[in-house]
Amino acid sequence: MNAILRAQALGKKYGRREALTDCTLEIPPGHVVGLVGPNGAGKTTLLKIACGMLAPTSGRIEVLGEEPNGAPAHLAKVGYVAQETPTYASLTVADHLTLGARMNPRWDAKLASARVEQLGLDPKQKAGKLSGGQRAQLALTVAVAKRPELLILDEPVASLDPLARRGFLRHLMESVAENDTSAILSSHLVSDLERVCDYLVVLVTSRVHLAGETEVLLAQHYRLVCTRRAESDLPPGLDVIWAEHSDRQSTFVVRTEAELPTGDWSAEHLELEDLVLSYMERAAAPARRTTTPTGDAR
Amino acid sequence: MIWLTWRQFRAQAIAIGALLAVATIALVITGLEMHHSYAADLAACTPQGDCDSTFREFQNSWMPALGLIQLFLIVTPALMGIFWGAPLIGRELETGTHQLAWNQTVTRTRWLAVKLAGVGLVAVATAGILSYLLTWWAGPLDQIAGDRWQAMTFASRDIVPLGYAAFAFALGATLGLLLRRTLPAMAITLAVFIGLQILVATTFRPNLLPSSSATFPINESIASQVHGIEIRHGAEAIYFVGLPVPPGAWVMSAPPIEDASGQVVGTGAHPDCFPGFGPAAGAGGAKSVGPRIEQIGACLASDNLHEAVTYQPASHYWPLQWAETGLYVVLAAALAGTCFWWIRRRRN
Amino acid sequence: MIDFHLDARSGVAPYLQIVGQVRQALLLGLLSEGDKLPTVKEVVAKVAINPNTVSKAYRELEYLGLAAAKPGVGTFIIRSLGDASLAAHAPLQQELRTWLIKARAAGLTEPGIDAMFQNTLRESAEEEK
Repeated sequence: MNAILRAQALGKKYGRREALTDCTLEIPPGHVVGLVGPNGAGKTTLLKIACGMLAPTSGRIEVLGEEPNGAPAHLAKVGYVAQETPTYASLTVADHLTLGARMNPRWDAKLASARVEQLGLDPKQKAGKLSGGQRAQLALTVAVAKRPELLILDEPVASLDPLARRGFLRHLMESVAENDTSAILSSHLVSDLERVCDYLVVLVTSRVHLAGETEVLLAQHYRLVCTRRAESDLPPGLDVIWAEHSDRQSTFVVRTEAELPTGDWSAEHLELEDLVLSYMERAAAPARRTTTPTGDAR
Repeated sequence: MIWLTWRQFRAQAIAIGALLAVATIALVITGLEMHHSYAADLAACTPQGDCDSTFREFQNSWMPALGLIQLFLIVTPALMGIFWGAPLIGRELETGTHQLAWNQTVTRTRWLAVKLAGVGLVAVATAGILSYLLTWWAGPLDQIAGDRWQAMTFASRDIVPLGYAAFAFALGATLGLLLRRTLPAMAITLAVFIGLQILVATTFRPNLLPSSSATFPINESIASQVHGIEIRHGAEAIYFVGLPVPPGAWVMSAPPIEDASGQVVGTGAHPDCFPGFGPAAGAGGAKSVGPRIEQIGACLASDNLHEAVTYQPASHYWPLQWAETGLYVVLAAALAGTCFWWIRRRRN
Repeated sequence: MIDFHLDARSGVAPYLQIVGQVRQALLLGLLSEGDKLPTVKEVVAKVAINPNTVSKAYRELEYLGLAAAKPGVGTFIIRSLGDASLAAHAPLQQELRTWLIKARAAGLTEPGIDAMFQNTLRESAEEEK
C-alpha cells in the first residue's frame, strides 16, 4: 500500500524566508500522525502543501501515491480541515451537509446526518452561531463524510476548551476506526497529540528533526544521569540528543536503536513531551548539536 | 458548485429581485403615463405649429424624475461591482472558507468559473433590464431634447450599462482576490470605476471615431437660425450659439468666429455691427437675442467670416455605444483572466 | 459492557493498560466467558485513543488466550481467570468492607486509603521476594 506521505527534500520559500527546508519524510499508512512543533515551525505550510493548497518551491511530495495538484480524483481522497476550522457563518448545519453532498461524488449522507445527530447539532442553526467546539465538529463531519483515505487537520483543537477538545478527538478517532482512514494532525502542544497519535513528526524552524512510530521512539530514547563527563566518554552507538552538565552531574538524552549498554548511570525512558522538548531545545541551540538529524525510524 | 454559489448569493439575489420588481412596476406605470401625456401634448400642439413651450413644460415636469433614475442607473453597476464583486472571493479568503471550498471534490478553476459566471451574469442582466426600462421610459424626453450624447444620458441608455456592470463586477472580484480583504477591495473598485468612467468619457468616447466638421458662413440666414450671440473674453471672441448642426449630433467644439485666414475676430474689428459693444463694454457672456441677431448677421455677411463646428454625427451613436461596451467587456474579460491565472498560480 | 480509561501519566503503555483493565474486570467478575468486548470503534468513540492501540490490546488478549475474534461479529472473552469470582471470595470482601469502615472513621480519605493500600501491597510483594 502507498505511503500516505512521501517527501524528498521538500522546501518552501517565501522570498527570502524559508518556511520549509529540506524535509524528507516517509509516513506509512494506517497511522494517526502527530505533527508537532512550535509556532512558525512550518507545520501549516507542510500540511497545506500536502493537501494541495500550496506548491513547494523545491523537492517533491507525494500524498497517497500522487502529487497533490488539485485534481478532483485526488481531492476526493484527502480531507482537510484548516486552522480555526472555517465554516460558512451564514450557512446552516444542514446547508453544510448539502454543500458536501453536491460537491463530492463519494459523499456519505447517512453518515453525515448520523454524526450531526450524534453531536447534538441543530441542522437549522447557522454555523456562525455555533460554539467553537461545535464548528470544529461540523468541519470534521464535512471532511469525514466524503470518505477520504487521509484526513489532514491543522491545529484542530488549538482554540477549544478541554471538553470540546476531548469530544473532537473522540469524533476523529471514531471516524478513523470506522473508515480505516489515516490522519495527520498538527499541534504545538504534545499533550494534544499524545493520546491519539501513533506516529510522530517533530518540525522545528522549517526542518524535520524527528520522525517515527511513537512507541518505537519512546523505546529508543533514554535519559541517562551520571557523574560529570563529556559526551565522548559515552560508549559508541549512542546518539546524544541533548546534554546538560552541572558541576557534579551530567544528564544526557540519548537515542539508540540497539539495546542500551550497561553503564554507570541511571537510565529511564522519557515522557513523550520531554522527548519532543529535547529535540526542540536541540534545534534552538545548534552550536551544541552533535549530528544532523536523520529521518524516520522503522 | 452551482448550488453553493446560489446559496451564498441567495440573500442578494432576493434583494435585487425585489428591487427590480419595484423598479419595473414604478417605471412601467409612470412611463405609460408619460408616454400617454406626451402623445396628447403632441397631438394638441402640432396643428398650432409651435410645440416649443409645450415641450419645455413637459421637460420641466419630468426632468427631476429622469435625473434621479439616470443617477440610479449609473450608480447601480458600481454598487454591484462593490457589493457583489469584492466579497465574491475576497470574503472567502478573508474568513478562510476557501480552504473548506477548495477541499471539496471541485477544482479551484471550476469554483472560480461558476462563481464569476453565476453572479456576473446576474449583475449584467440587472444592468440590462434597468437600462432597457430607462431607455424606453425616457423615449419622449430624449426625443424632445434631441441629444443622446450628454454624459449622463449616454452612460445610462442602451447597452453601455451592461459593459459597466461586467467591468465593475470583474474589477471587484479581482481586487478581492488579489487583496484578500473585502473592504479595501470595495474602496479601490469604486475609485477605479469612477476614474475609468471619467477617462473614457473624456478621451475614448470623443476621439475613437473621426469627428466631422461643418463650417457656417456668417450671414443673415445663419443668424436667423441661431439662438443667440455670446461675446466673451472682453469682446475679443464672438460665438453664435445654436448653430444648425445636423440633428442628433454631438457638438464637441465650437470655436469663435474667425476670418478667412483663421484669425479670431472681436467686436472691435466691426464696431458698426456691434453698437454699444466696445472693448470697454461688458466682460464675458454679454448676450443679445431677438431681431438684432439677424441685423448683426447681415452686417457681418460681407466680411467672409465663418464659424467652424466639430461634431460627431448622430450616426456615430450606436458605433460608439458598441465600442465603449466592447472596451469595458474586454477589460472585464482581462480581469477575469487574471483571476484564473492567479488561482492556478497558487497551486503550481 | 466494559468501559476503558487511559491514564496518560502512568508510564504503562496504553495497550497494556487496556489489557490490564480487561484482566481486572475478569478478576472482579465484571466480565465472564462469552461476553463480547466493545468494538474498536466503540472504544475510541468513548475514549479518544488511537484505534491501533485497541487493536493491539485485543491481539495481546488473544495471544494470552483470554479472548478470540470472530470475524464480522466481534471479539469475545473465551475464559475466566482462575476461579476468581466475587461470590467465591465474599468473606474476604466483607472483611475489606469492615476495614474500610474503620479506616474512614479514623479520618482517612480515599486517596489516603489508596496510598496505604498500594504501599502495603508493594511492601508485602517485596517481602515475598
